[in-house]
Amino acid sequence: MFQFLVDVLMRACDLMLVAIGMSAVYSLMKFPNIALVQYAATGGILAIVLQKIGAPVAVAIVFAVVLTGLVAVILNEFLFNRMLKIGSSTAMIGSLAVSLVFSAAFLVTVGPNPSRFRLPVSKPIRILDARITEPQLVSFAIVAVALGVFALLYFRTDLGRCMRATSTNEVLADATGINTARMKTIIVLISGVMAALGGVAIALKGEVDIQIGMDLLLPVFASAILGGLGNPFGAVAGALLISLVETVVTTINFGPLMGQVVVFLPVAYASAISFLLLVAALLWRPRGLFVSEVKRV
Amino acid sequence: MIEVTEVRAGYGDGPDILNGISLTAEPGRIVTILGPNGCGKSTLLKCIAGFVRPRAGHIRMSGEAVTDVPTYLKVRNHRVGFVPQTDNVFASMTVAENIMLGGRLMERRDRERRFDTLLGQYPSLASKKNRRASALSGGERQLLSLARALISEPSILLLDEPSAGLSPRMMHDVFEAIADVRRREGPSILMVEQNAFEALHVSDSAYVLSFGSVAIEGAASDLLADPAMRSLYLGGDKH
Repeated sequence: MFQFLVDVLMRACDLMLVAIGMSAVYSLMKFPNIALVQYAATGGILAIVLQKIGAPVAVAIVFAVVLTGLVAVILNEFLFNRMLKIGSSTAMIGSLAVSLVFSAAFLVTVGPNPSRFRLPVSKPIRILDARITEPQLVSFAIVAVALGVFALLYFRTDLGRCMRATSTNEVLADATGINTARMKTIIVLISGVMAALGGVAIALKGEVDIQIGMDLLLPVFASAILGGLGNPFGAVAGALLISLVETVVTTINFGPLMGQVVVFLPVAYASAISFLLLVAALLWRPRGLFVSEVKRV
Repeated sequence: MIEVTEVRAGYGDGPDILNGISLTAEPGRIVTILGPNGCGKSTLLKCIAGFVRPRAGHIRMSGEAVTDVPTYLKVRNHRVGFVPQTDNVFASMTVAENIMLGGRLMERRDRERRFDTLLGQYPSLASKKNRRASALSGGERQLLSLARALISEPSILLLDEPSAGLSPRMMHDVFEAIADVRRREGPSILMVEQNAFEALHVSDSAYVLSFGSVAIEGAASDLLADPAMRSLYLGGDKH
C-alpha cells in the first residue's frame, strides 16, 4: 500500500512543477504555453549534458534551470508576446510549433538515445513496504522545496500579491500602480524555472530522451485543466489526481475479469487515462474541479 | 490638480471620440463629467488615467506634463487613485489584501495606520476584512475600490461611474463617501457619472459632453438650476 502511495507521489512529482508553470503563465498571459513541456525537457537534458562535460551535479542543475528560465523569457519577449497581439489561439499554436522546433533541436544536438545523470549507485531505502532510491528522494525533495518556495512567494510576499493581482485583473493592477509588463516577465521566468526543475526531477530518477517533453504534454495539460487553468495550486491537485488514476489503472490486475491469472495494462496506456480525464474535465468541469468562487455581475 | 488641454483621442484606427476637450480640476474640488452614452466620458477618464494615449493635446498633473505617462507610473509618481466602473476589485483576494495592495509602496507603519483609518471610515468593510472580495455586494465593492485607491492618500482621484448598478440607498452612501473624501483629504476628484442629479449635488462643477466635445460647463449649483440642463439631463422637473 505504501509503495502505491510512493508511486503516486513520484508520478505527481513528474507533473506538478510543469503544470504549475503552465497554469501560472495562463493566469497572466491567457494562453496555455505548450512549450513549457519542452522547457522541462531542456532543464533535464541540459543538466545531464553539463554534468557530462564536467560540472558537479548541483552546479549543472542550477545552470540548467537558470538558463532555461532565461530561454523562457527570451521566447516570450520575442515570440509569444507578439503572437498574443494577434490572438491567444495563435500564441498557443505558435507554442506548439516552438515545441516541435525544440524536439528537432534535441535530436540534432543530443541524438535519439536516452541519457542519464552519472550518479553513484546506492541501495534502495526500505520504508514500510516501499523501496525508495536515493535519487527518488532527492527528486521528491526538489519538487517539495520548489512548491514550498513558490507558495511562500505567491501568498506571503508583495511580489506574489502583485502577481495574483495582475492575473486576477490586469487593468485594475495597472491602476494600482503595478508594472504589469514586468509582472508577466517575472511569472514567465518563474514558470520556466519551475518547468526546468520538473525536468531535472524526472532526469534524476532515470533516463531522459528527447521525447520526454511531448510525453509530458497530455498529463500536464490534463493536470492544469483539472486544477482550473490559471490556478497554480489547483494544478498541483490536478497532478495528484492524474497520478492517482494513472497509478491505479496501471497497477490493477484485470486478470480475473478476463479469465486469466494476471493481466496488467501496459504503462503506455497511462497517457490514455490522462486523455480521458482531460476530455471528461473539458465536458463537465471546463473551469476546473476547484473553482468555487462566487461570481457576481 | 488636473489640466486637460485640447485632447483628441480614439481607439485603434477609428475616428476621434474626443474632439479637443479641455478641462481643469483643482485640489479639493469635485468635478463631474456628464453626458449621454457614447459621448466620450469614459474615454476621457481613460486618457487622463493613461489607459488610452491621446492623439493630440496635453494633460498635466500638479503642473507636470503626463500626456504619455503610463497608468502605473501616474499612480506611483503623481499619486493618482483610480476607481474603475466594473471589475473594480481583485475578486480572488481578501478585502484586507485589496486595500493593502493599494498602499504597497508606503512605509509599513504608515500603511497599517492608514488601513485602520479606512476600516474605521467604512465599517461594512471592517466586518468583512478577511472575506474574499468576490463575496461582497456591488456597493461594498465600490467602497472597497475607493478604499484601495485612498490608502496611498492620492492627490488626484479618478472615479468612473461610481454609482453604476447600485441601489438608490447604496448610491447615496457611495456619493456621501466621495463627499467625505473631499472634506477629509482634499484631493482633486474627477468623476464620470450617469446619475447627473445625484452627482451634481456633491460636485463643485461639471462638464457636459456631447459627441466628444464640451457642450455645457459651469458650477454644479448653476447647472442644477439651469432649465435646459434639467430638461436634457436631469429628467425634467421631477426633482
